[in-house]
Amino acid sequence: MERIAIKMLVGDRAKYLSLVFGLAFAVLLIAQQGSIFLGLMLRSTGFLQNIAQPDLWISDPHIRYIADVRPLNDHDLYRVRSIPGIAWAVPFFAARTMVDLPDGTYKSVQLIGIDRSTLIGQPPDMTEGRLEDLRLVDAVLVEESARPKLGHVKVGDILKLNDKRAKIVGFCRAKLGFESNAIIYTTYDNAVRFTPTGRKRMTFILAKAKPGEDPQLIAAAVNRLPDLGAFTLEEIRWRTVQFILIETGIGINFGITVLLGFIVGLVVSAATFYQFTLENLRHFAVLKAIGARTSMLVKMILLQALVVGLIGYGIGVGLAGAFSLIGRKPGAELAVFFPWQLMVVSLVAMILTVSVGSLLSLRRVITLEPAVVFK
Amino acid sequence: MNPASPAQSATVSSAPAGVPAVRLVGVTKAFGSGRSAVHALRGVDMVVPGGQLLMLVGPSGCGKTTLISIISGVLNADGGVAEVFGVDWSTLNGGRKTVRRGELIGFVFQQFNLIHTLTALENVSVPLLVRGVDRHEANDRAAQALKDVGLGERMNVPPSSLSGGMQQRVAIARALVGQPRLLVCDEPTANLDGQTGQMVMELIHTAARSNDPTGQPRVVIVVTHDSRIFHYADRIEEMEDGRLKSRPSQVILDEAKHIPHYDKPSPDSGEES
Ligand SMILES: Nc1ncnc2c1ncn2[C@@H]1O[C@H](COP(=O)(O)OP(=O)(O)O)[C@@H](O)[C@H]1O
Ligand SMILES: [Mg+2]
Repeated sequence: MERIAIKMLVGDRAKYLSLVFGLAFAVLLIAQQGSIFLGLMLRSTGFLQNIAQPDLWISDPHIRYIADVRPLNDHDLYRVRSIPGIAWAVPFFAARTMVDLPDGTYKSVQLIGIDRSTLIGQPPDMTEGRLEDLRLVDAVLVEESARPKLGHVKVGDILKLNDKRAKIVGFCRAKLGFESNAIIYTTYDNAVRFTPTGRKRMTFILAKAKPGEDPQLIAAAVNRLPDLGAFTLEEIRWRTVQFILIETGIGINFGITVLLGFIVGLVVSAATFYQFTLENLRHFAVLKAIGARTSMLVKMILLQALVVGLIGYGIGVGLAGAFSLIGRKPGAELAVFFPWQLMVVSLVAMILTVSVGSLLSLRRVITLEPAVVFK
Repeated sequence: MNPASPAQSATVSSAPAGVPAVRLVGVTKAFGSGRSAVHALRGVDMVVPGGQLLMLVGPSGCGKTTLISIISGVLNADGGVAEVFGVDWSTLNGGRKTVRRGELIGFVFQQFNLIHTLTALENVSVPLLVRGVDRHEANDRAAQALKDVGLGERMNVPPSSLSGGMQQRVAIARALVGQPRLLVCDEPTANLDGQTGQMVMELIHTAARSNDPTGQPRVVIVVTHDSRIFHYADRIEEMEDGRLKSRPSQVILDEAKHIPHYDKPSPDSGEES
């Protein structure tokens, strides 16, 4: 009867295709909106995306968001370095600043300052020039997507940051954030010099545990120091995402949109499948009349749901994946993040949906009076 | 009247030894409740012995379909007893009823009720697949059943590409492939032209003349208000307003002969086969 069930499903090409594409569209909606939402959330974590070396991100313990920090000072850095088990602890600077362009306009950029000797916090990829040249006097690296925004500058060009001279020694590629649609890298000392700050100017202290040392124990030691808190990458990332989700309203509003897409997708798929069974109800009644037990009809419907659900899912997730590939293209402004978890979520959603759709259908089939065959 | 089975000779024939194929006692059925209730059956008593081709006739809405629905176990009676081959339907639960239907009863419907996304052969194999017969055997037997109704050449086409008469023959093959002991047909010729209807009735009549797997002659109940096919009956029961009218079959038949469209069956009646 499995063959019969499948033939009932695919036999009517037009109906079958509209069913499959209905489901595929629903999955596309779920996966695509989901991936954009996740992409935006990921983008909100800004420079966290680019830095993997440290075990611990140390800042004020009350930090809620990476762009909303109470800066630390040199003394804090020495306190952290004196904790046993710390392999290294380096300063990290991130702040918005102005670049004056030759044509008299200006551009707001995110200035990232990294430790001069270790270069920890460096951009993930160099596209032109050498990273080491960052140690030269007044040297800066420009992130590729800022190049056009700064008037197609080249290596050797001079930028003015708050009236201070900065020389471009290379170009790099890094992931952008909300705060950083144009990024300039320099050393920590340069960054401090380029921006008017007070005594406190360190955005983060990046620290690493010695091999064999438990970063959690070191974090606990940092947390015992007054006004210092240590976070793993995951913790600081989650704090930032939570802030965006809850405090800014972006998350909530867009989240509701995504959720609506999700629900619409699910309802459409469930209804589509339910409708399909309704159209076949008479056939099921005939099968019931000629001796097909309810359990057999249930199996047939579940099989149909599974087949059409998986095919619809495959097409939908394929299309959504194609979208995310476009978004992943370097320099694309689209924020798309399509992790395997999203595939699993949309698969589970799809299976749930067709199950609900088929449960509704089943209710009709189970309570079906076979007498309707004579109608 | 078909020469092989004059109605008068079989009328209310004495039941053969053993249980009758169908025994109805005081069967009632109403749809809806209260003042708007429709009393489709108001107490039907009937005994059908084995080997009869019984026709249930009467005007539209008199309860014919309701009655064969109850006889064939697809509808529950409100009151009375409906027994088929000695078993009262009301003593079986849903699943047992379904299985018993599959084993004992073949169905032919006015609108054929074929699954249009399956081929003729697949449609005919369904009753066997439902019973767990393996696919190859089911296909072989379905093919034979289609040959028996003269459709050996059109097995692998969808029903929609067949004429109405052919579709009904496919439906008859489907009804007979499982060797049912009771064949119920609801207005099998109503959607067909006169000649095609005669041909379909010939097949149903042949089924009534062949034995079921227990060696007993098969029982066939045909609901119709098509007087052109009355002559195929061994016995005719007339219904009116939810009750059987006890008039002898021959009287009903004689009356039908005076209806202008009454066709004498010709031996080669029917459509292309
Ligand atoms: N499912 C139903 N719901 C309500 N009324 C019904 C239903 N089935 C049949 N009836 C009514 O019962 C009466 C008998 O119907 P039916 O047995 O179909 O008559 P026939 O087959 O002789 O034309 C009619 O009045 C019909 O409208
Ligand atoms: Mg009827």
